[in-house]
Amino acid sequence: MNVYEIENLSFRYGPSKAGVLAGIDLSIEKGEFIGITGPTGAGKSTFLKCLNGIIPHFQGGILEGNVLLNHNSIMEKRMIDIAHCVGSVFDDPESQIVSLDVEQELVFALENIGLDQQTMEERVTEALQMTGISHLRHSKTAALSGGQKQRVAIAASLALKPQVLVLDEPTSELDPSGTKAVFEVLNQLNRELGMTIIVATQKTDFLARYASRILIFNQGKIVLEGKPQAVFAQQEMLKCLGVRVPQVAELAYRLQKNVREIPLTVAEGLNYIQRCL
Amino acid sequence: MKAHSVIKVEDLVYSYGDHRVLKNVNLTVHAGEFVAIIGENGAGKSTLTRHFNGLLKPLSGRVVVGGEETKHCKVSQLARHVGYVFQNPDHQLFHNTVEKEVAFGVKNLGLSTQTIQDRVAEALQAVGLDEYRDSYPYDLSKGQRQRVALAAVLAMRPEVIVLDEPTTGQDYREMMQIMEMIQVLNQKGHTIIFITHDMALVAEFAKRVIVLCEGKILQDDSVEAVFTCPDFLKQSFLELPSITQLGNGLSHPEISAPFLTVDEAYNTLKPLLGGEAID
Repeated sequence: MNVYEIENLSFRYGPSKAGVLAGIDLSIEKGEFIGITGPTGAGKSTFLKCLNGIIPHFQGGILEGNVLLNHNSIMEKRMIDIAHCVGSVFDDPESQIVSLDVEQELVFALENIGLDQQTMEERVTEALQMTGISHLRHSKTAALSGGQKQRVAIAASLALKPQVLVLDEPTSELDPSGTKAVFEVLNQLNRELGMTIIVATQKTDFLARYASRILIFNQGKIVLEGKPQAVFAQQEMLKCLGVRVPQVAELAYRLQKNVREIPLTVAEGLNYIQRCL
Repeated sequence: MKAHSVIKVEDLVYSYGDHRVLKNVNLTVHAGEFVAIIGENGAGKSTLTRHFNGLLKPLSGRVVVGGEETKHCKVSQLARHVGYVFQNPDHQLFHNTVEKEVAFGVKNLGLSTQTIQDRVAEALQAVGLDEYRDSYPYDLSKGQRQRVALAAVLAMRPEVIVLDEPTTGQDYREMMQIMEMIQVLNQKGHTIIFITHDMALVAEFAKRVIVLCEGKILQDDSVEAVFTCPDFLKQSFLELPSITQLGNGLSHPEISAPFLTVDEAYNTLKPLLGGEAID
């Protein structure tokens, strides 16, 4: 079943502005883990804003084509209905967190959709558990590390039980262990709950490890898409676009151009090289 | 003869309120070094480097820059020795053209107008932004704004350049542009100290690595030495670059030194695998 169907989507921020998205066609199935990358200014963030309804509901511009969420046009849906289906997490957790303590932060979102006390309690407990931060329930949000704050932002989204989670550079401020923690949470949500994950990031190493499909954006278009093994085998093109190739994949490609399944992780790389030594 | 020391830190202690961020840090940086400071979020990296240009003053211990203790110096005085490029360039850009932005600091050095113009032109050229001299900084990409901030620092011709996560939020092309620029500056004699979370950049560009963990220096050595003792990195929640992990995982008599870059891995492995197809 398709969660999203995107038909010939184009967007400009104003009549005199250059086109940011230039004719995107794409279907996203329920349960996919989509990784988006590409050079800055390629339209990745704008595209994500079209998926969570920020465009056109909060940010104006000229939109052509259509975005269907569960077969209904996002243009015709109310923002509150979109927010029930689609949770959003941005690069800067500071700007998303509004409450003094972690529990309040999660309750804040839930109060707005009118749930009873019991249900709210269950949802908060569950969301904290899934993101691995139950122990931080009563912590002050200001005292948290960047990685912890980002997991609070994800937990607050999760408490609403969205069908899809859209994340724009959720780990850009985080160190490697914070980044890994966030991706592990996304992986678990994807595998255990079948949640559709759509994440834009420059950290292609992590996309190689976790994504089921990768989309490469350039100049408002999807110029390459497919499974990580297929996408990271197109190294001449990625080099041209300035997309970072995972080191193991780069090495394997240089050693042998026509490798059938390009290794992406250290374990895959070891396996591949030891077979040949 | 060993190069002279440009920064000397002795028993440095610093706290934010009750929270002790730096606990007896000792280190010396010599002229011409290329140093990476690594460690998890909150390890004290930025707090340490902000002592190098006097933005922070030690609670106890001392920091000596260009022969003088920072406690007795103004930030403006130290700026001639140590240029600082912040993590977020938008915190340091406030003029309406790139040129004015770059000229701002130099104007305070009491130089002739001609010299100021020459320095600004040279700095803009060094970062590849001469054609944007009349642009409004916020019309540029984040990577370009980062380079404007670097140019403003370069125009001061400081001996030492400190960069706090110079590649965050940039795409790979921008990231490599700024790192290659920094490498050229180092070759021209500037001492470079940069903070990063990107271990592949550390391996490729730095010569010396300082690992900070909970306000202490856990390790301070050459890149090769640090990357052959992954235990220290684990202790500070860091991971080796995947190419280094791959090399360390291979047991072969011909492979002894750690792989720091894909190039090194390729050059070592290619002859071992012979000319034959692998698969």
